[in-house]
Amino acid sequence: MNAFWSAWIMFLVVLNLGITLFLFVWGQSVRIPTQADGTSGHVWAHGVLREGVRRLPLWWVLLSAAMFAIGIGYLVLYPGFGAYKGLIGWSAHGQLAQDTAANRAKLDPVLQGYDGRSIEQLAAMPDATRMGHRLFVDNCAACHGIEGRGNHAVGAPDLTDADWLWGGTPEAILTSILDGRRGTMPPFEGSLAKADVERLANYVQSLSGMPQSPSRAAEGKALFTTCSACHGPEGKGNPALGAPNLTQPHRLYGGDLATLEQTIRKGRSGTMPAWRDRLGERDVRLIASWIYAQSHGDGAATH
Amino acid sequence: MAGGYKYFEAIEKHAGLLGILTAVMVSIGGLAEITPLFMRAHEVKAAPGVKPYDALRLAGKDIYVREGCYLCHTQMIRALRAETERYGPYSTAEESVYDRPHQWGSKRTGPDLARVGGKYSDEWQLVHLKDPRAVMPDSNMPAYPWLTRALVDPDEVTRKMRVLRMLGDPYTDEDIAGAASAVGGRTEMEALIAYLQGLGIANEPKPAAPAQGAAP
Repeated sequence: MNAFWSAWIMFLVVLNLGITLFLFVWGQSVRIPTQADGTSGHVWAHGVLREGVRRLPLWWVLLSAAMFAIGIGYLVLYPGFGAYKGLIGWSAHGQLAQDTAANRAKLDPVLQGYDGRSIEQLAAMPDATRMGHRLFVDNCAACHGIEGRGNHAVGAPDLTDADWLWGGTPEAILTSILDGRRGTMPPFEGSLAKADVERLANYVQSLSGMPQSPSRAAEGKALFTTCSACHGPEGKGNPALGAPNLTQPHRLYGGDLATLEQTIRKGRSGTMPAWRDRLGERDVRLIASWIYAQSHGDGAATH
Repeated sequence: MAGGYKYFEAIEKHAGLLGILTAVMVSIGGLAEITPLFMRAHEVKAAPGVKPYDALRLAGKDIYVREGCYLCHTQMIRALRAETERYGPYSTAEESVYDRPHQWGSKRTGPDLARVGGKYSDEWQLVHLKDPRAVMPDSNMPAYPWLTRALVDPDEVTRKMRVLRMLGDPYTDEDIAGAASAVGGRTEMEALIAYLQGLGIANEPKPAAPAQGAAP
C-alpha cells in the first residue's frame, strides 16, 4: 500500500469518526423547543401519539462513548489506520507464529521422549500410540479405515493382520508411509480367454482355501505360471514388488470370484501417497508405532 | 451551537434527505475498504510455482464450480494454528490469482481442500467421488457418479482459455492450440480429479520463521 492509499484511508477514517463524534457531542447539547404540554409538537395518528421531550438515557450515552473509546483504542493498538501498524505490532501471521511456538514448547518435550526409540518400543507406549492413532484417523483412515482394517473399494490393505504387501518390519512400514508405494498388476484380458480367466480365478481362490470349483481350479494351475513371476510359484507374494500373498484369505479388492476375474482381466493399480513432506518423520514414526502395535498384538488396549 | 435544532428538524422531516445523508455516511466505509482494492493498491502477483491451470485442470475447476463444491468445501487455510496443523501452511492471495472466481469459500461442511492435492491417490478420489460412503462410512457428501460418463467439451475449454488470456492469464498460443487434444475424450471425472490433485501442489509458501513478527 503506497502513501496515497494510506492517506486516503486515514482521511476517511478521521472524517467518519469526526462526523459521528461531532454529532454525538453536539446532538446532546441541542435544545429542543418544547410546547406547553411538554411535547415537541410532533404528532402521529391525528394527534393520538405525541412526542415527549426527554434527555437521552444515561446508559445509551455511556455505551456510545464506550464505542468511540474502543474504536479509537483499537486503531491505536492494532493495524487498521492506513499503513500504520499499531502500537503493539500485532499481525495475524505473527500471532500464528507465536501460537505455533507456544504449542511446540509444550509438545517438543513429549516428542523428545520418543526420539531415538525404536518403533517396537514406541508401540508399547500407550501415549505414543494414542497420538499415532489420532494422526492415523486424520490422515490415513480415508483409505485404511478408522481402525486400520483396510477397504476393498480402493484396495487399501488391512494393517491389523500379519499379512503385508511391502513387508511388516518397522523399517518397511516407515518406508511405506514416508515415501509411498505404487503397486501395479497388468491386465491379462488380452492374453487370456474368458474361460481361462475363470479357471485361474478359481485356482487363486483354492490357494487360500476359499470356495471354488475344484475341477476348474485344477485346470487353472497350469495358467498360474504367468502369475508366478510376481506372486511366486506358490502364490506367496513378493514384498519387493508389493505383490500380494495369495495363500491368505484377505484380498485387497475382495475375494469373490467376480472380483478376482475383474482383477485378472483389467489389472489393478494401487497407490499409497508419500507423507514425508506433509507430516514429517516424527509424526510418521508415531503412526507407524500405532500400526505396528495393531498388527503385532500388544497394542490392543490403546484405542 | 444550542440553536442547531433546525438542522435536526430538517433531516427528521425530510425522509429523502435522511436517506441521502445515511448513504453518504455508510459509503465512507466502502470508499475506505473497496476503492484501494479496485485501484490495485495491493498488487497481487502469482507466487513462484503458481501457474495458470492446464486445459484439463481448467475444465475440472469449472466442474468444481458447477457442482457447487464450494458450498461445503473451502480453499482457504486461515492463519490459525488449528488450521495449519491440520491442512498445512496458510493460504495466500498470491496462490489464487488464476482462480476466476476464487474458491476460498466460507462454509465448511466438508474439510478444506486448499492443499488436498496428492493427499489421496487418484483411485481414492475416483471411488470417493462416485460413492463417498464406499471409503468414508460416515460421510454426508453427495455422490457424483455421472461425472464418469460425461465428457469434457474441448471447444468450450479452448474458448475459455482464450477469454482468460484476454483477462491477463499468461497462456501461450501453444497452450491454447493444444487444449482441445489435451481434454478430448477425457471424462469430467478425470478433469475434476486432475484439478483436485493439483490443489496446493508446489504452491506452499515457506513457513514463517518462528519469531517473525511475533512482537511484543
